[in-house]
Amino acid sequence: MTKKDFWNKSTIAVMGGGSWGTALAQIAAQNCGEVRVWVRDDDQAREMNSNRVNPDYLPDLKLNPKIKALSSLERVFEPKVQAVIWALPSSVCREQARNLAHYFKGDEVILHATKGIEQGSLKRISEILTEELPTRRIGVISGPNLADEIARGEPAGTVVASAFEEVIDAGVSLLTTSRFRVYPGHDVIGVEWAGTLKNILAISAGALDEMKMGWNSRSMMITRGLHEMVRFGVAMGANPSTFLGLAGIGDLLATCSSPLSRNYRVGQQLAQGKPIGEILKELGNTAEGVRTTETVHEFAKKNKIDMPITAAVHRLLQANVSVEQVLQDLMSRPAGDDTIT
Amino acid sequence: MLPPEIPDFSQESVTKVKAELAETGLPTAPAVFLEGPLTVFNAIRPRILSEVVDRTRQELTAAPIEMLLTSALYAERQRLKRTRANVFTQKRKKDDKKLWSGIQSGLLQSAAIVDRKPMLDQVLAHYADEIGGRFDPAVYRFATHALPVGFDWLLNAASLNKFNPWKMTERVESRLNILGEVDLLRKLSNKGTILLVPTHQSNIDSIMIGYIIYLMGLPPFAYGAGLNLFSNPALSFFMRRLGAYTVDRQKSSQIYKHTLKNYSTRILREGIHSIFFPGGGRSRSGAIESKLKLGLLGTALEAQVNNLQEGRNKPNVYIVPMTTSFHFVLEASSLIEDYLLESGKDRFLVMQDESSEFNKIVSFFWKLFKAQSGVTVRVGKPLDIFGNFVDEQGESVGPNGTRIDPKLWLTTRGQLGFEPRRDMEYTRELGSRLVERFHRENTVLTSHLVAFSFFETLRKHYPDLDLYRFLRISLAQRSLPYEAFLAEAKHQHEKVMSASDRGQMYVSEDLLTTDTELWVEDGIRNLGLMHGASVLKVKDGVIFTEDMSLLYYYRNRLAGYGLSHLSDSRPGMPGQHDEKGFLE
Repeated sequence: MTKKDFWNKSTIAVMGGGSWGTALAQIAAQNCGEVRVWVRDDDQAREMNSNRVNPDYLPDLKLNPKIKALSSLERVFEPKVQAVIWALPSSVCREQARNLAHYFKGDEVILHATKGIEQGSLKRISEILTEELPTRRIGVISGPNLADEIARGEPAGTVVASAFEEVIDAGVSLLTTSRFRVYPGHDVIGVEWAGTLKNILAISAGALDEMKMGWNSRSMMITRGLHEMVRFGVAMGANPSTFLGLAGIGDLLATCSSPLSRNYRVGQQLAQGKPIGEILKELGNTAEGVRTTETVHEFAKKNKIDMPITAAVHRLLQANVSVEQVLQDLMSRPAGDDTIT
Repeated sequence: MLPPEIPDFSQESVTKVKAELAETGLPTAPAVFLEGPLTVFNAIRPRILSEVVDRTRQELTAAPIEMLLTSALYAERQRLKRTRANVFTQKRKKDDKKLWSGIQSGLLQSAAIVDRKPMLDQVLAHYADEIGGRFDPAVYRFATHALPVGFDWLLNAASLNKFNPWKMTERVESRLNILGEVDLLRKLSNKGTILLVPTHQSNIDSIMIGYIIYLMGLPPFAYGAGLNLFSNPALSFFMRRLGAYTVDRQKSSQIYKHTLKNYSTRILREGIHSIFFPGGGRSRSGAIESKLKLGLLGTALEAQVNNLQEGRNKPNVYIVPMTTSFHFVLEASSLIEDYLLESGKDRFLVMQDESSEFNKIVSFFWKLFKAQSGVTVRVGKPLDIFGNFVDEQGESVGPNGTRIDPKLWLTTRGQLGFEPRRDMEYTRELGSRLVERFHRENTVLTSHLVAFSFFETLRKHYPDLDLYRFLRISLAQRSLPYEAFLAEAKHQHEKVMSASDRGQMYVSEDLLTTDTELWVEDGIRNLGLMHGASVLKVKDGVIFTEDMSLLYYYRNRLAGYGLSHLSDSRPGMPGQHDEKGFLE
């Protein structure tokens, strides 16, 4: 049986019925036999199965008939699934993995689409999954993938990275469509850190835009920010060239340009002079970048990794300083070499 | 070469030997050592060797034979030029030369006249024969009984300073502290094939571990030992017949590497328990192994996949880490010089070379016994081929109490079998988990901690010197006030004790005290045992070292735990992991 045949007949579980989980389920449904989407809420499952839409997240997307929404874990994993797409928020990653461990048989392939890290431990999602699940064949999906654009069928691309060739094969076979391209990669560390670090820069992008800065400042921030991402990534064991790919600069550009991102909105409101406590209360949902900034900044300081923009964002989040003041300080730093070091 | 003996494997003979052993009343170990596949090894040897040759030939078909042979010829001619034969290795060298001259003249003719295939076969057979050990139960019996008696004599003579063979009060076992998962190892040895992977510090290790295996009541294990060890006829005699096969690190050709790998896999598949030193050789720096030879480790997975495909019962291979802790290492000086030379290159100045001889092994045990000192060996928690823990039933335990079915982990797209990239990744993970286990299962001795504390405290006084300049500071600079040192040592002791409480390392009994002076003195005494210069000495309220390199060597046993104040952050240094800190 060829790889493609195998995946065409396979059953896929998608953990998490948020917008990205639903969009990925829709894509995978074009390339496999059945997709079971696990959602926590019975009502949501019923709605998705009967009305064929996911009303809270992607109300305009007509779900593929091969998609089945389930709220019972037993039914998601029985009969057997060949691949699991993990699209749960990073904050509940470990807890959920613990709950789900017993459902895995061991020969499944896992593709996770979660951006973020475990705060404090600095562990990446694939590390957490390896620690908690009885399987090692894990990969990551990451790129400039705003879910609603993909749901609308606009052309887009992503990276699937894993140390396991068969996981990459699964990602390519399951997720490639006429409107969605999948690029294989092996640098899991780089891809996962890129997806995390860009959230810090999204905050600064929001702040800059709110200050009505033009393209020059924006480009400088993104480029110099990318340097910081590379420095940090390399310290964590990443391959620097990963940051020039879709999961790096690709995702960074999309995130820094989309006013929809929560991190971007945090930046905007900081620039308006709102205190961070109030902003977070208002946004209802914790913006990933806020806590990431804290963790990354701390680690970088301890390990002497030069990250001035991250430090600046950290200052903005900590104290009552204006964006203008922070900008001033950044601009008065002695300029180092422009090549990535 | 010794004449081949024809062992008697009849049931009667085995029963008789067992009865004889029971009568001797010698060190008590269950007489299971005459069972197990290794004891019938000579009978299956020809079959195994021919299978190794076949398999290696198959693996090598991808490359053109001509290329393989010419590159092997080149490497071998270089090697033969480099190595000097002694009285015992003359014959081997002559045989090698003969073979390769033949190959050369063959290669000089066109392939149409001289077929390359038989030439490759000839080389393969030659290598396989050299690698393949012989096992002789009679010698094993002799060795495992003569050695302890010899050890006991030596022990009594050394520690009592007078020797009376009829009144021996000490037994060598009393000087070997064997700790850890001994029972689990015994159980698993009946449920699958054991691959014992010890840390490696000294040439003593293979002899000592062989003996420990016997003391634990396990059948003999096969192990790969450096060909150089076989050049001593006395050692060679025992090693050959204790299940050792030869590994020649000088041979770098693809053909040799494949043959060696296939041989060790084939042995494992036969269900013969084996020993690999996964670090490749002795630790040069003195640090616990942090880089392993994955190719060698991967043979465990390969053997298990084969077993599963052939539907054998007891298909599992269990990886059992073992750590050895010595107060002193015979070859420490030459090892650390080697290491510094390689890592420091021009920044390190070479001193004299130290040769290691057979006498040194006797001398090691003499000093060991005389000093009332011991060796601590810990059998670590067994792992499966992926690095998961294994329970008493021999089943793999996954995260959150899940069971792991190795068959499913070895199944890709519904097919059980090999998958090179996947298997490499599994083995890489096994390797990194083994490194972690080595650190956690390590027993810290007083001497290690004393060396570490002194080195680190002294280093703080010279923050601007790089390691190589630091190692060359003058005698006058290498001292600390004893009282001040004790305070630092107390602090390090506290850190180590709390790490041990968290299960990140073990400490020896001598460290279980709050009396700093007590353990420090014990450490200093033990450190100085072996070497000409004192590693540490206290005089007139001052503690100092006469040999910085040796101090560094013993200090390195505690590298990699993140305990260091100042990390030697250059890549490849034992301290490079200090920055990340193995400990959380």
